[in-house]
Amino acid sequence: MSTPPNDTARQTGAAEMPAPSAGSASPLVELSGITRSFTQGDLTVEVLRGVSFSIARGEFVAIQGSSGSGKSTLLHILGLLDSPTAGRYVLDGHDVSHLDDDARSEARNQLTGFVFQNFYLIPYATALDNVLLPGLYSHKNLRVQRKRAEDLLHRVGLGDRMDFVPARLSGGQQQRVALARALLNDPALILADEPTGQLDSTTSADILDLFADINRTGKTVVVVTHDAETAARARRRIVIRDGVIESDGLHGGATAGGASA
Amino acid sequence: MTIPAGNTPGPASGLAPGQNHGPRTGRFGGRNLPALAREGWRAATLGLSALLAYRLRSFFVIAAVSLGIASLTVIVAAVDGASKKADEIADMFGPDAVLVFGGNIVNRAVGARTLTLTWEDAARIRQSLPGAYIVLPMRSRGNVRLKHESNNYDVSLVAGTTENYARAWNWPLVEGRDLTAEDVQRGARVALMGDRPARELFGDESPVGRTFLMSGVPFTVVGLLQYRGMSGGGSSVDDRVVIPLTTLTQRFNMDRRYFRALRVKFEDTAGMDTHVEDLRSLLRHLHRLAPEDPDDFTILTAREVLKFLSVIKGGLVLFLGVTAAAAMIVGGFVLANLFLLSVTERRVEIGLKKALGAPGRAILLQFLMESLTLTLCGAVGGVLLGALMGQMLERLGLIEMVLSAKVFLLALAAATAVGLVFGLRPARQAAALDPIQALRGGE
Repeated sequence: MSTPPNDTARQTGAAEMPAPSAGSASPLVELSGITRSFTQGDLTVEVLRGVSFSIARGEFVAIQGSSGSGKSTLLHILGLLDSPTAGRYVLDGHDVSHLDDDARSEARNQLTGFVFQNFYLIPYATALDNVLLPGLYSHKNLRVQRKRAEDLLHRVGLGDRMDFVPARLSGGQQQRVALARALLNDPALILADEPTGQLDSTTSADILDLFADINRTGKTVVVVTHDAETAARARRRIVIRDGVIESDGLHGGATAGGASA
Repeated sequence: MTIPAGNTPGPASGLAPGQNHGPRTGRFGGRNLPALAREGWRAATLGLSALLAYRLRSFFVIAAVSLGIASLTVIVAAVDGASKKADEIADMFGPDAVLVFGGNIVNRAVGARTLTLTWEDAARIRQSLPGAYIVLPMRSRGNVRLKHESNNYDVSLVAGTTENYARAWNWPLVEGRDLTAEDVQRGARVALMGDRPARELFGDESPVGRTFLMSGVPFTVVGLLQYRGMSGGGSSVDDRVVIPLTTLTQRFNMDRRYFRALRVKFEDTAGMDTHVEDLRSLLRHLHRLAPEDPDDFTILTAREVLKFLSVIKGGLVLFLGVTAAAAMIVGGFVLANLFLLSVTERRVEIGLKKALGAPGRAILLQFLMESLTLTLCGAVGGVLLGALMGQMLERLGLIEMVLSAKVFLLALAAATAVGLVFGLRPARQAAALDPIQALRGGE
């Protein structure tokens, strides 16, 4: 299998592999003093109360916290689905703290890949068309994208099911399609929200293996979870509580960063 | 499962790692036109599969719009048919002819006589009106019993006239001959027969040379008038028998001095206005009217016939137009409601697309495309349905239709308007959905 051609303009330096957490001069994610408050009537609730951390290229990070801790809001901000009330967010060298709606859509499309707990595949579209969905909004050559989508489906082990609609796929297979979709635009950051929350333990392990593989090829992965199994796969864990970071540390996780190189 | 290490999209991620990028802004947002067109096209193809996925709803929208368009089609075709018929009637009336009635139709004085035209008028016009080459007096009687062998038929009109009736009315004879001066002089019992009574009395056989009874008096058919298939005021023009005026007044004991109407045909159409004025002055002179007296006759020209018909047509346009507008608006509301339902039901899909980077305008475009596709399908279906309905109405003899490219273009325009106007609100609502909220709604 060869490297999928992603964009003719992006061919340079394809052989180089960044060493994960190698203290690259520019972290992929840089959050400083992020707050987010929601106002409902007279009531203002501050969900994030000053969150700052960086994520280097190639890291595998788990964000943990109980419900209501603010981890979902943090994920939405990381994934550019939401903007912080205050603070600065630099993603892949771009200041994305306060983009307008359309610019945020475009940045989301180019820089992030999202994997959801409920897969969220379009029921009437085939696996291939579902993978191609982010390409719909990225204005690149359709033939190149189609080739890449096919390669990605092969990579996640669904090369023989490209024409299946989601209803004909198992939960694990649907999540694989979602993963391939997240990779289509070759984003710098893969975000996952409880990616194994709807799967049995065997399937969960397969999906987590896949995340690990993707991380091993150099992609930065951030997973929000309260599942210990999932968190154990990440090398770094950030625990959030009441809108602030409670702990942030490395541990001897299963991730063998760059081991396959 | 493992993934070969060489198989990496990672490092290709554009910005080479290790390089120090300062934060940049303004890279996102802003689009050129080809990109937008491409986006539109691909959104449209995906939209099509959505329409297929929601077949039932698509069907209802198409059906609703189709009904509106069908009524619009019938209406436009019927109005066109009415126009064509008006032209035909005016044509039949003849642009080179006038019809003079006794009495003033427009300004009728109380108790004024309607029988004012005399044989003398006819003779004087024939003698002294320049350009007039046929002057044809007419009287008529309604509902006369005809009989041939065992067939009885009540003909709605028996017209009494003089020679050259067919020529004066541009009405070709299928068989036989026109009335002659001799027939009129002798008070001959001869008749020209319209298509309707001919069929009723003689079936498919030729009536020419055959004899029938009219109020018990035997008449011989000398000519068969061509089928015209026009109706006016509830009776067909083909439902008539034409006999010499002299015969009519004798057999039915009618006044012999006056007749009801006078057909005058001129040699040229160019000077019609002058001809009509000349005729008016001559008649006023013959009737010894003082300058302040109103005309005691009415001159009808092809132009006035057309004017009269277009007033009727205007009423038709108004009535049917209101009906069509109502049908389209109902169709539009059905569309709007089904689409609002669709937006609610497809929140997750919309939220997902936005989460994957779809800008609001892409969602707006997608829903507008969907609505337009459906209404345009409705337009095509509606024209077909309308043509079918028109055929049925025509077969029932209710209206005459003319289908043209204009009908189709109008249907397309109306459907586009409905699609845009009623599709816009749901589409905007979809475009404005917050992805976080929309996805949360799906859990």
